[in-house]
Amino acid sequence: MSNKNNYKSNGTLTLKGKKYRGELIAEERLAKFISKKMTIEMPYPDIAVLKNVRNGGMASTITIKMADGTEYVYYLPNGLKVYHYMDQQWDNRPRSMSRADELHRLAELRGERIQKPRKHLFKRRHPNRSLGGDIGIYLMLAVVAFAMAFPLIFAIGSSLKPLDELFRFPPTVFPKHPTLDNFSDLIVTMGQSWVPFSRYILNTVFITAVGTFGHLIIASMAAFVLAKYDFPGGRFFFTVVTTALMFSGYVTGIPNYVIMSKLNMIDTYWALLLPAFAAPIGLFMMKQFMEGLPTALIEAAKIDGANEFRIFWSIVMPNVKPAWLTVIIFSVQSLWNTSASTVIYSEAKKTLVYALQQIQAGGIARTGQAAAVTVVVMAVPIAIFILSQSQILETMASSGIKD
Amino acid sequence: MSQHQAGLAGRYMQMKSEQFRYGWQKAKNNKVCYLFLAPYALLFFTFFILPIGTSIFYGFTYYNILEPARFIGLQNYINLVLQDEVFLTSVKNTFVIAVITGPVGYILSFMFAWFINELPKWLRAIAVVIFYAPSIAGNAYSIFSIIFRGDAYGYLNSFLMNTGLIDAPILWLTNPQYIMPVLIIVILWMSMGTGFLSFVAGFQGIDKSMYEAGYVDGVRNRWQELYHITLPSMKPMLLFGAVMSITSAFNVCDVPRALAGFPSTDYAARTVVTHLFDYGFSRFEMGYASAIATLLFLVMILCKKFISAALEKVGT
Repeated sequence: MSNKNNYKSNGTLTLKGKKYRGELIAEERLAKFISKKMTIEMPYPDIAVLKNVRNGGMASTITIKMADGTEYVYYLPNGLKVYHYMDQQWDNRPRSMSRADELHRLAELRGERIQKPRKHLFKRRHPNRSLGGDIGIYLMLAVVAFAMAFPLIFAIGSSLKPLDELFRFPPTVFPKHPTLDNFSDLIVTMGQSWVPFSRYILNTVFITAVGTFGHLIIASMAAFVLAKYDFPGGRFFFTVVTTALMFSGYVTGIPNYVIMSKLNMIDTYWALLLPAFAAPIGLFMMKQFMEGLPTALIEAAKIDGANEFRIFWSIVMPNVKPAWLTVIIFSVQSLWNTSASTVIYSEAKKTLVYALQQIQAGGIARTGQAAAVTVVVMAVPIAIFILSQSQILETMASSGIKD
Repeated sequence: MSQHQAGLAGRYMQMKSEQFRYGWQKAKNNKVCYLFLAPYALLFFTFFILPIGTSIFYGFTYYNILEPARFIGLQNYINLVLQDEVFLTSVKNTFVIAVITGPVGYILSFMFAWFINELPKWLRAIAVVIFYAPSIAGNAYSIFSIIFRGDAYGYLNSFLMNTGLIDAPILWLTNPQYIMPVLIIVILWMSMGTGFLSFVAGFQGIDKSMYEAGYVDGVRNRWQELYHITLPSMKPMLLFGAVMSITSAFNVCDVPRALAGFPSTDYAARTVVTHLFDYGFSRFEMGYASAIATLLFLVMILCKKFISAALEKVGT
């Protein structure tokens, strides 16, 4: 993200007579104070009085009075520029002249005729864009988006079709008489399974929850030292992890089966959980995101005598919540979709997706139920993604591999 | 002369040992780092690094889990290349799939992330969900078995018959002639995955003032902007996306098994990974399967090296 309008300074905060050392960050919409003990966020609209701050000027003392009467006094040795969001003069802040402005001014001085920019039919949001190209791209996007969504819509449509419509010629996308029969049939079929169906659900929930939690803790611990400490072997280890991003469960499946059978882990949940704990993608995302944390935060805590575990647990972890969510989602997606048919043999330990796939494999008579299964299985990851899209994209912004 | 050389060698040794002492000191000072890394490193080693060693080792043996492994030298590799015609078919299929869906999926992910980036914010959020959903929708690809069904009830067949393009249903998933194109379409449908998300996020992170500066300096259309400004600032994401593309292109397994059946007609949809599965988990010939896995590991690592070297040259 652009840091153009963020200003930071180290300093001391006085609040109700107590002093805290930390970092004050002024962003476009809010000011933040981050110290070892606490993080205060102050949206500018909540601020009643902001003293000692001039437009574009520097201030060594800032007094902020909030709408609820709390007063914060900052002593900043390096000074800080704060533009008040509510400030009427926000738009009049001093700007440096761009090269275009400069050329324009010189041409005016020479008395040259200046060509006025042509007026466009539509308001242009961006220079360097032709209208035809824009329309073409929007059209193409619409067509491709339709093609991408069509199979999913078709699946949802099929799951709502009554039996006679599933085999109608010509087939339709949307049902004429939508019904939830397929879903209720699915529940009936579930009730007839040899192992109670709730068992499959419990298994999947257990594997997903434990696997994700363990992965989050173990991968974050490793990511923390890889991102913030320089120790022999660290960089090499991360390069190896980056390469291992390519090894999917299929390729490692065979050798892993041999290793697990030597460790007596076949047909136990360890065979699913332990590889999930070490998934490279989680460590990768976490490490890249943690690199963006200000090192000053950790240094300050170290000077105050906190050990590495405290730094990790009470300073680093609370500050990387978007990355948590991303790691959780990648982990949940893969564990939720695992059918584990190769390493788990006991019926009572099988997962939900496995059981649903068995129903799906039931042939023509279960076409409707199969579509219902597809909808059930795809609903969970897509729903999670929709709910957490902005945090995931925030994390993905630091996902690049720097060589 | 020899004295001089001895002196040089001595200095070199001294330098090396000093370097080593410095490294050792650094490691000792950062003891706690290794403690933090240990749980992950142990598991990672066991389930991601050891498999490479294991598959190289068992690749030289005959091993079926029940009997102890028997060393047979290069026999597995010789059989793979000289006797196993199905393997050669699977290599050909994987190669075709990887060469088409890898680069095309990669470029499509990038292009659509770029186009989506210019949409208004609310529309962008919806578009990202639509494009990303197929890759996370579990086994939603199985719906293609209804769309491409071989009889007249299949959606595509009935559509084509109604419009008069064909007069008899086509066996999309059983006729070897059509299996591969169908698979490639389905895999492309699912190719907007993690790499795509990384691109979307990368575009949003580019400093807008660079475009303004570019405009002033004479960048005149979107393609110049793409080549001179966008691509160079996206390099890390491009490499990440490439790694993700290689992964998905080489690990095609579930889609052909679900759509074309296992085994498929004339092995037309056999890929290296389904071949590996067949030998590993149906016939329990772990030695033979390990040889296949070793080759796959090798190809993947080489691919990554090649792509990161190629990306060095982008936009310069």
